[in-house]
Amino acid sequence: MRGRHRFAIPFLQYLDTHGEVDVPLPAWTSDIERLQKLYEQMVLARTLDQKAVALQRTGQLGTYPSTLGQEAVGVAIGLAMQADDVLVPYYRDAIAQILRGMPPENILLFWGGEERGSDPGGASQDFPPCVPVATQLSHAAGVATAMKLRNESRVTLVTCGDGATSKGDFMESLNLAGVWQLPLVVVINNNQWAISVPLKQQTAAQSLAQKAIAAGIDGTQVDGNDVIAVYDAVKTALDKARKLRQPSLIEAVSYRLSDHTTADDASRYRDQKELNVHWAEEPIGRFQHFLHTRGYWDEAREKALQAHCRETVDAVVAAYLAAEAENPEAIIDYLYAFLPAALEEQREAIGRKAEVLNGQENPGA
Amino acid sequence: MRYFNLPDLGEGLQEAEIIEWNVSVNDQVEVDQLLVTVETAKAVVEIPSPQAGAVVSLFGKPGDIIHVGQPLVEFAGDDGESTTVVGQLNTSATEAGEDVFIIGAATSDRGRRAVKATPAVRALAKTLEVNLNAVRGTGRDGLVTREDIERQAGIEEKLGPATPLRGVRRFMAKSMAESGASVVPVTLTDDARLASWKKGEDTTIRLINAIAAGCRAEPILNSWFDAATRSYRVRPNIDVSIAVNTPDGLFAPILRDVGNRNRADLRKGLNRLKKDVRARTIPPTEMIGATIGLSNVGTIAGRYANPVIVPPTVAILAAGRIRDEVCAVDKKPEILPVMPLSLTFDHRLITGGEAANFLAEVIANLETD
Repeated sequence: MRGRHRFAIPFLQYLDTHGEVDVPLPAWTSDIERLQKLYEQMVLARTLDQKAVALQRTGQLGTYPSTLGQEAVGVAIGLAMQADDVLVPYYRDAIAQILRGMPPENILLFWGGEERGSDPGGASQDFPPCVPVATQLSHAAGVATAMKLRNESRVTLVTCGDGATSKGDFMESLNLAGVWQLPLVVVINNNQWAISVPLKQQTAAQSLAQKAIAAGIDGTQVDGNDVIAVYDAVKTALDKARKLRQPSLIEAVSYRLSDHTTADDASRYRDQKELNVHWAEEPIGRFQHFLHTRGYWDEAREKALQAHCRETVDAVVAAYLAAEAENPEAIIDYLYAFLPAALEEQREAIGRKAEVLNGQENPGA
Repeated sequence: MRYFNLPDLGEGLQEAEIIEWNVSVNDQVEVDQLLVTVETAKAVVEIPSPQAGAVVSLFGKPGDIIHVGQPLVEFAGDDGESTTVVGQLNTSATEAGEDVFIIGAATSDRGRRAVKATPAVRALAKTLEVNLNAVRGTGRDGLVTREDIERQAGIEEKLGPATPLRGVRRFMAKSMAESGASVVPVTLTDDARLASWKKGEDTTIRLINAIAAGCRAEPILNSWFDAATRSYRVRPNIDVSIAVNTPDGLFAPILRDVGNRNRADLRKGLNRLKKDVRARTIPPTEMIGATIGLSNVGTIAGRYANPVIVPPTVAILAAGRIRDEVCAVDKKPEILPVMPLSLTFDHRLITGGEAANFLAEVIANLETD
């Protein structure tokens, strides 16, 4: 049988699983400071992440989704985007949000149940993390449509997990991006697990990137544990969206070394042997080996970085714990530019209940 | 922080089981050092230390259930609330123990978990000091709403707190309500003339013998009835539940196979049951599986009664206080000891004729030597 069209999905990898390189590196890697920053931010991401888990375990934070093992994806996105681009994150993008200008304590405030935790800080046009699965893809297609209508040279970047690619929203958004040629970059953090559903039960497709083909847009698979590859792929896709108005899909193949969230226990459904294999391929150790080999990193720098990360995280936690509790009405305050009347009633009712809860008013009265 | 209390480790979890302590008393621990491994309904979770300090005490052993909000670890410090907190822990353990005695379940707080309420409503109840267990939920599927809590708080402010039913009395309320909601009871009364009784006759054992005689005449009264399938099973053995009154409430231990045992053996068995009930050491299995009931109400006061049938049984006999009464004997007045009897039967299964035959046989048996 002869087809009229043939397709291939490129796989981008510069560092192999041991951090060795046997292909020419992209030109931007001559910027050593940039490489060092990629590393430093991955380490900060992990330090903050593990502290957030500890805070949850000690009753000081709500349910929290760890990004353990997926630091390369968030750091690459956070550093590759331009200030006026729009990030539409899902719930494993803490470090990307921080690199875009969000005060790190807002991450803790968000998972501590505070509306202020949605405040993106510097990049105030960014969206808050989307916890419902895949809905953010439609939002992002809308944002990208607005950019196109306004003839702006900005790009929308949206993220999702592998589980989201089975949802209608995902294909609808890709389709729209293709048909309307939207300045949209979709990054899948394929960490191989949708809570307890492994990728092989998620899809029969050989890759998630090939889903782009049906929408008529470019799809690339990258090694999500190779921060150079992820950064390069994201940067290329952003440039293409900015200059050529062409959308693209990136599948970053990572691995979720953590539980799905702190309310999960992956040992109930995941083989420890599988986990051990992936620990040997995680992104930070691999990149550190590369930097060492090139002479861009040493023991003294590592010690200083560890100390800096600890201090930073301690300060972030202190700021989080010192934050005064928000008024409960805040759950409504940021939903609309102009509050509908029905919600105004609800808002008042919430205020009254809050006073009762705080003991300022007698409920029998 | 002197006490580190068990946090909610998932989303709305109420308790966790201790799997393993990773520190010991007197250990000096660092922030985020592993303290204890616990298992919740959802996950095995490693809990790190929220602070640095010396461990003064660990609350609970591996296998113990700790409720959210109860202390896990005490650190050295100068915040002297020790006795209050420990006292709360003990109270909770005692309550759980009481429930075990009645329902035969493993130690747990299932009763507490059975209350359906959102975290916000639970928080409101806590603030207003309303006992969630005492609130009837008016929401969907019995969900306790904010309004329920506020109404309850208002009532308690006006009338003071209500006494919640506990233990045996709580179980009594439940089983009586179930009976009332299903059984169609008819009570038949008559007297037995005890002219032939000798001094010191063992009333309870005589009644048990009489029930056995009644069951032989009308075995259908010794049945289990299943209303849902409209079917019944005549039971081969006669296992009589005997109401025993205690200050804590009504118990009904079971004397087994009364049709095939002699009086001395029955008395020995009955004494043991009563002793176990009073000492509260009777195992729950000794109160399950009766085929017919006996209530000897006459030991205190009362003549006739309408005793309550506990499904799936279909009959219960009550004996009132024995009194001397003028009776017509051979057309002449004679003073005889008389025992008033009340037989309640479930008319869904038993006919009036069957019940009357049973009662006649009971009376005949009591009136022989």
